Amino acid sequence: MGFFVDSINILLPAFYFIVVWTYGKAFFGDVVWAKTVKPRLLISTVSLHFLYLLARAIEFNHPPVTTLFEILTVLAFCVALAYLMIEIRSKSGETGYFILNIAFFFQFISSAFIRDLLEVPEILRSNFFGLHVGAALLGYAAITLSAVYGFLYLMLYHQIKASKFGMIYAKLPNLETLERMSYTGFKMAFLFLGIAILVGFLWLPQTFLDVSYNDPKLVGTILLWLLYGIGIAAKWLGEWKGRKVMILSVWGFGLTIFSMTIVNLFFTGFHNFY
Amino acid sequence: MNLLCVSISHNTAPLQVRERLWFSPEEIRSFLPTVRKELNIDAAMFSTCNRTELYAFSSDAHPLAFDRLRDLLIGAKSVHDIPTDSFQFLTGVDAIDHLFRVASGVDSLVIGDVQILAQVKDGLFRAQEAGTSGFFLTKLFHAALHTGKRARRETRIGEGAVSVSYAAVELAQKIFDDLHQKTALVIGAGEMAHLTAKHLRGKEIGTLYITNRTPERSKHLAEMVNATVIPYEEFKDHLGEIDIVVASVTAEEYVLTAHMLKEIIKRRNAGALFLIDIGVPRNIDPAVRKLENVFLYDLDNLNGLVHENETKRRNEMPKVTRIVAEEQAEFTVWVSGLHATPTIAALSDLIESIRKEEVAKNINRFDPRDRELVDLVTKRIINKILHTPIVNLKNGSDESHSERLHTISALRKLFGIDGEKDAEHEA
Repeated sequence: MGFFVDSINILLPAFYFIVVWTYGKAFFGDVVWAKTVKPRLLISTVSLHFLYLLARAIEFNHPPVTTLFEILTVLAFCVALAYLMIEIRSKSGETGYFILNIAFFFQFISSAFIRDLLEVPEILRSNFFGLHVGAALLGYAAITLSAVYGFLYLMLYHQIKASKFGMIYAKLPNLETLERMSYTGFKMAFLFLGIAILVGFLWLPQTFLDVSYNDPKLVGTILLWLLYGIGIAAKWLGEWKGRKVMILSVWGFGLTIFSMTIVNLFFTGFHNFY
Repeated sequence: MNLLCVSISHNTAPLQVRERLWFSPEEIRSFLPTVRKELNIDAAMFSTCNRTELYAFSSDAHPLAFDRLRDLLIGAKSVHDIPTDSFQFLTGVDAIDHLFRVASGVDSLVIGDVQILAQVKDGLFRAQEAGTSGFFLTKLFHAALHTGKRARRETRIGEGAVSVSYAAVELAQKIFDDLHQKTALVIGAGEMAHLTAKHLRGKEIGTLYITNRTPERSKHLAEMVNATVIPYEEFKDHLGEIDIVVASVTAEEYVLTAHMLKEIIKRRNAGALFLIDIGVPRNIDPAVRKLENVFLYDLDNLNGLVHENETKRRNEMPKVTRIVAEEQAEFTVWVSGLHATPTIAALSDLIESIRKEEVAKNINRFDPRDRELVDLVTKRIINKILHTPIVNLKNGSDESHSERLHTISALRKLFGIDGEKDAEHEA
């Protein structure tokens, strides 16, 4: 099992790279074979990734969400799976190249730095922890999808404004579709981050003696959640339309990455277990 | 192959000549039986604003005379003064290549024209209605339609708008997801306004308003495109509910100013606002471009888009030419397979291979002394079965040439005789 986990850990970034390359061939080069094989390659990679996560959980006897690099591989899986579902539902694979690049990036970082942890603190095996982290991960995946669609919206918006009719103009879905997809991610991010925060607030005082509400990651996540809440309220009230919400979704992603990396690595708090 | 094409098109004659040889569907229906009656040939034709083409196939061994076909065309329209160099005459493989290129849209005035495929289809349909399509032309036109469909499916020859009015509507589709739920306002009732309104209606725009200084003209246009008329003095009050504005009036000053639109945008609780300014001088203040979620396109922008699309279509021509060559080669193989000799050889080979296989499978069941006899007897049976069909194929029995081709084709289909294998055999 250990050999399987180690091998797949090395192979997964390569698989994601091949998937991204094939999606790029289909998008930029209009290559017929690439268009045909890309969904099959993605399904195979996502399936392999699922087996990897399962094998990892069995081998190390804990869900693979205890360190930043375990979280990154789960996040890569969530992003790829969410995109696969979008592609199957919408029967349109034009945005795959942009989204799967993020999945590849997350998996690459994860595979490079992930460690084999046989011993984890008991609190990381609790059901509340699973719910808390699961909701947070779904929130982060939604943030990622929202940001990519938001970024594509902004690219197309500027191309149409500037009367540039290049590849982006020709291949991407229309602005309203991109906005709707991004905003759906935006709302999902708000919902799941809200659940993660709520579960955290209920569970933390029972589990941690040294709980601090000034924890940098906690504060960062609440600020992020508020930011998304402001965006939803502004759109709902009709104050913000299209472009502004999309800019916010891209900024939200930037802040998430900052929170996951810089804050997680350099600002210690009770959220750090290793 | 006794195939001939007489064509008059934008490549060979100006509009004032072409229009005189334009045939309505009814005229085609009555003309084709005349051709059949006069020359005893199969015929199919189509006529569009850019071309009139007559295809003829004769079962006679003597080559068809161009002059006779041309004279029949000219005579049907009583336009005897049309010079001969206005026509293009093609035979055999050249005629096939020409029809395939036409169906693919690479020979059209507007490269990648989407209507031509339907016009070729109509050509076949009318010939079938008139009973003049015959077996060969039916197959030829089907192959041309297949080629045209492949060209559109496998290349981008038909993509991107190549008219200003259609480009405007195509742009709207790049902004809005579902035009069915959108509202458009057309300011003006001139030709460009009419065309754009027609395209918007064609794309099933939800609500379409027309406004013009002259109410009669807006009413007339509204009736044509199934729209609602708004009095010109009141159209600004409706801008809050509009998603697409098409402005095409002659006015000294801007019909829509940046200040006016800024106020409207504040009021409207909707997404993007798409403005198409096809008026000269311009009808919409260019400063509105700076407003968020407002997209303004004027004639220059739209012409730029049209030009880019034309270039993209031209760049696809080598791919289409390749498809045409592939389909032409396949059709030629089919045609050569229609000759009796290769079909007889292919049929004999097929039956002999089956005989050999079955004998080899079962030969061990026979006494070694009888094995040679088994081989001989099965050969005799096969030869006797094939004798009459082969003689009939060689001599053609009492069939006409067209019927004979049909018989050969049916036989090949029935026995699954592969065209490529046959071509190799012939080579």
